Amino acid sequence: MAEELRSAFHQELIGIQEGIASIAAGVTELIPRATEIILNGDLEGAEYLILGDAEFDRRSIELEERCFQIIALQAPVASDLRAIVSAIKIIADIERSADLCVNICKAARRIYGHELDPSLRGLIQSMGDQARVLFSEATEAYLHVDAVRSAALRDMDAYLDDLHRQFIQAIFQSHSGDTVDLQVAVQLAVVARFYERIGDHAVNIGDRTRYIVNGWVPEHPYPESDNEPSTPQLIAEQEEV
Amino acid sequence: MTESGKPMNIVNENVVGSDSGLQTIASSERTEVDTDTPPFVFETIDLNVYYGDFRAVRDVNLTVAKNEITALIGPSGCGKSTVLRCFDRMNDLIETARVDGRVLYHGLDLYGPDVDAVEVRRRVGMVFQKPNPFPKSIFDNIAYGPRISGMAKKKADLAVIVERSLRKAALWDEVKDRLSSSALGMSGGQQQRLCIARAIAVDPDVLLMDEPCSSLDPIATTRIEELMKEIKDEYTIVIVTHNMQQAARVSDRTAFFSVEVNEQSDARTGILVEADATEKIFSTPADDRTERYVTGRFG
Repeated sequence: MAEELRSAFHQELIGIQEGIASIAAGVTELIPRATEIILNGDLEGAEYLILGDAEFDRRSIELEERCFQIIALQAPVASDLRAIVSAIKIIADIERSADLCVNICKAARRIYGHELDPSLRGLIQSMGDQARVLFSEATEAYLHVDAVRSAALRDMDAYLDDLHRQFIQAIFQSHSGDTVDLQVAVQLAVVARFYERIGDHAVNIGDRTRYIVNGWVPEHPYPESDNEPSTPQLIAEQEEV
Repeated sequence: MTESGKPMNIVNENVVGSDSGLQTIASSERTEVDTDTPPFVFETIDLNVYYGDFRAVRDVNLTVAKNEITALIGPSGCGKSTVLRCFDRMNDLIETARVDGRVLYHGLDLYGPDVDAVEVRRRVGMVFQKPNPFPKSIFDNIAYGPRISGMAKKKADLAVIVERSLRKAALWDEVKDRLSSSALGMSGGQQQRLCIARAIAVDPDVLLMDEPCSSLDPIATTRIEELMKEIKDEYTIVIVTHNMQQAARVSDRTAFFSVEVNEQSDARTGILVEADATEKIFSTPADDRTERYVTGRFG
């Protein structure tokens, strides 16, 4: 029954949403590529992915500018306002996640030539898979403006946090068993952190989608601060054991 | 005088008689009011307004809090101006108009048999869409109300009231050197501020504004909006506006009215859909109809 009075404006909102979903889908593809690159020591792939980041930055800025233009020209309110405010934040989450994939590739270059034992490889694969699933789900939930799917991301992220924890433990075991040297161990700990952060960005996208749907805001601005220990915390835990 | 906010003054003493009788009315109304809730200047209870057989608004339950700016928004024919006119009993002046339900003013029934509509209109000032200064001098426009209501005993008192009113309406500096020139020579924005000053001059409790900026340019509009925010500490303001951004900019609370069309009879009736804090209405309105209206998804 809704008669559309501002169709050009609302078309532009949809255009921005689709543009965001498109770059988010791009990041969803980057994650497994970054995982392959680090597991296979693929230097050429790393170079290619790192160079490709400029395109993500360019598209993010372009989408952000379209959002600013809407605010300046259309005075959005209610769900339109929530969509724009969320879009600006989601763009930042996506852009940052692409950077994290780049960081994984840079770490791959630093540990090039070092053999990783099977348990570490398995955990890297699992973290990569889970981060990809999270990002893909966040993208879908945003594109379909689905608050329920968005809310489920927090539980999915808990599993990724658990893998992160296991991985830090495995690094310590490998290091004490002399199968991995200190420099590589540090790089790996950082890589685990990158995956964990990608998961957090996916959760943020979900939270922002929930805000679009019904104005929901999380009680704590940074959910990971409560129940997700940072890498230094995890290392400290291991040292205490 | 305004500070007292005594509703008893609007009661025609000739009809009711003694003061004690008035207080009985006032106190019996007040017992219903929860002390935790903000003091309401107006409260409508199941308000229905008819023009002849035509029901303009149906079952409106709305509160207006003291020293707040309440904006009434909605499409044409939604009854927002009709409801505004109930607050100073201007509907009385329309012969076919009939008001059902109750309009409480500081807890006192505004349409009670013993209420003097003229006194109501002294306490509840109105500013109209088009500036309507009297064809008199600037001074006399402001002095008119105080003169006829006997507020000023001496000429000097009158000058004080005129200056104070013009200052409150942020007009004094612009007109102080030409108080005796005709108000009709002022710009539209100045004329509208003059009308606000004129309304303020009789020391009202409430200012009702029916689209006060729709004939003004953006700068004059901004001046009026700033003025509203400046004077809301002293007055309670209810504004009807077609400009949603204006409602968003100036008001503390927003009431959204809509039109309900009866499928069978094609009768159109105004209803109050939702009233809430303005930031809520424009960020996360509770009702889908409000959402569609403010985002332009509804004709």
